[in-house]
Amino acid sequence: MKTFEIGVLLIILLCLPFSVAFAARIEISAPGEQTIPLAMTRLLPMGVGAAQPAIATEFQQVLLGDLDLSGLFDMVDPAAFLGDADKLGLRRNDIDFNQWRMLGSEALIKGGYRVTAGRVTIELRLFDVITQRLLTGRRYVGKLTDVRKIAHTFADQILKSLTGEKGPFASKIAYISKRTGYKELYLMDVDGYHPIQMTNHRSIVLNPDFSPTRKELIFTSYSKGNPDLFRKEIYTGRESRLSLKPGLNIGGRYSPDGREIALTLSKDKNSEIYLLGTDGTIHRRLTNHYSIDVDPSWSPKGNKIAFVSDRRGNPNIFIVDIHSLDVTRLTFEGKYNATPAWSPKGDKIAFSRMDNGVFNVFTIREDGTDERQLTFGKGSKEHPRWSPDGRFLIYSNDLGGEKSIWIMRADGTGGRKISARGGNDSHPAWSDRW
Amino acid sequence: MESSRKQRWQQLQSVFEPGFKQMLLISVLLHLLVPILYYTPLFPKHEIEKPPVYRVNLVNKIVKNPQAGRPEAAPVKQKPAVKPKPKPEPKPAVKPKPVPIPPKPKPVPVKPKPEPKPIPPKPKPEPKPEPVKPKPEPKSAPKPAPVKKKPQPKPAVSKAQESALEARLKKMRAAQKQKASEQARKDKLAALRAAAIAESSNIESPTTDAPVGMMDGKGDQAGVSAVAFVQEFIQKQWSFSKYQAAGSPEAEVKLFYNAHGTLLHYKFLKKSGNSVFDESLIRAITKSRQLSQPLPESMEFHIIFNLKDMLDKS
Repeated sequence: MKTFEIGVLLIILLCLPFSVAFAARIEISAPGEQTIPLAMTRLLPMGVGAAQPAIATEFQQVLLGDLDLSGLFDMVDPAAFLGDADKLGLRRNDIDFNQWRMLGSEALIKGGYRVTAGRVTIELRLFDVITQRLLTGRRYVGKLTDVRKIAHTFADQILKSLTGEKGPFASKIAYISKRTGYKELYLMDVDGYHPIQMTNHRSIVLNPDFSPTRKELIFTSYSKGNPDLFRKEIYTGRESRLSLKPGLNIGGRYSPDGREIALTLSKDKNSEIYLLGTDGTIHRRLTNHYSIDVDPSWSPKGNKIAFVSDRRGNPNIFIVDIHSLDVTRLTFEGKYNATPAWSPKGDKIAFSRMDNGVFNVFTIREDGTDERQLTFGKGSKEHPRWSPDGRFLIYSNDLGGEKSIWIMRADGTGGRKISARGGNDSHPAWSDRW
Repeated sequence: MESSRKQRWQQLQSVFEPGFKQMLLISVLLHLLVPILYYTPLFPKHEIEKPPVYRVNLVNKIVKNPQAGRPEAAPVKQKPAVKPKPKPEPKPAVKPKPVPIPPKPKPVPVKPKPEPKPIPPKPKPEPKPEPVKPKPEPKSAPKPAPVKKKPQPKPAVSKAQESALEARLKKMRAAQKQKASEQARKDKLAALRAAAIAESSNIESPTTDAPVGMMDGKGDQAGVSAVAFVQEFIQKQWSFSKYQAAGSPEAEVKLFYNAHGTLLHYKFLKKSGNSVFDESLIRAITKSRQLSQPLPESMEFHIIFNLKDMLDKS
């Protein structure tokens, strides 16, 4: 009898899962749309005060440029905008989200400006059209000349709220330009505006790099006859020689913590990679080989350095562990691999490789896998450097016979020229967030 | 002969080293061992990943019991297309008979007796009309039955009318012939079309008669399964950029739709931990609050969202 009861119980237990309501399982392994439809209205004047449409135009142009470069968005055509676009309403309740939804928009940027006593106030909002939530809102106050900066800063903010990580648009790019006839150090915005000459050495200035902790740059200059390493404070303009060893003092790069500088010295008649303190004293020699070792680039963890060496014949990228001094070879293809740049996320190393007489930008993982060519076509693309968030790369391109600074997304798409003509610009370096 | 062969064999054997036979045996055994070893877990086999099947629903009619089948099979129309295939063969023989139906009324009652007598070859309808003329005369006497034909037999006396009748008959015959030939041509065309369809579908798969349907279908109704429809609908509403992606996020959401296609409630069974990713899902779900078509019944879906396909491509 007992066995019968147990049997019945077992049958009931077995049947239980089937009595549960049916739920279909679905896997969706890619979104239907791979861009975010975004509507951006023109800034409208707030309160009293004369309307200055130039402010709205400039702001819109800068913000659109940044958002387009990000590759995240699909902008809704302003020609299709309905009545709500002409209303200033910056509060959630003032906005007719259904209008924006009808246009297929998922995100909405609205804003207004006010000019009082030579100062501009710009209020901006980013809304989620679908959930009708405010994603981010900012009020910026600045001089009339700060409109571009405000637009870049808000672009960073938009990226932060839609990707979880701030954008790099409100930062600076240092580069070498021959505008004056000499190779001098310059600084400009990420979109190429506001170029400022930083040095006047009337010689050759090369290889700039930003300090990660201070508003400071290092670079190599021949102004004293020898390629010495210089340091320059950006705001004070104060300048000093950091390393003036006989021979080369080139390719200086700050460590991620800003406490050391890796560079190439040839004081012993052969170029080797060294670590310097910020006071210019030699901390350590990292390579010891009769071949040429140049172009160091720190891993973001600060424990490894990628560099170029011809110790196996052709110039290739190698990685040295700064503690054990073990050297591993990274690239095997191509006849000339140069200028490695370790991404701030640490996952990739960008470099340029010459094929058929033309340099192109490539990326490779630290373990030597997943090598990808990012640029193609005419023009030598050299000296790639990462944006502080790893989203973009800048490089120099001699397309059209003159070198200029270009920017592209880290996957090689969206490449565009940012520096103005006539400068023969090269050796870009991207600052940390400003 | 035999002894010489033996001798040669012995000679041959003497050439071999003493342990040759054993070695040969061992070699054969070792070779046999190779395939056996291959199927042991020592050599893990990497399953070849099937490429994803992309299904495009041109008609999103949702049915409760979608029929099973292969996406590459031709649409349901295929059945009628295949049917004509057997038809064309018997038809040309059979059809001509039904075709002469129009002239029937006149000769039908008459046929039985006179036909076999004057013309032994009965098979074709064409000769039928011919004997019609003489028949009405003898028959009109014994049988008043063909009431309808009255106008014919009566005027048959006058030659003018007879010739008129003949002309009419000729016309009818010509029409009949034309119809027959047209039909034959149509049949031929149908047969050719069917053959072409059969052939073309043969190229894609050997079983042309497999029904069109959904991969997950088990029923007999032509249409899209609700699961496939909802999957496609929600996927369309979901926008997420690869530049937003960090790592490989995955979230699982439970959605409950009523039969009207209205979302009653949803719940995250597992969040991805990436707020940007999860928020994009909330947007997609909010946009999918009302499906564009009703469902066959209230349904619950467990949807796993990830970026496998998108990140693979980049």
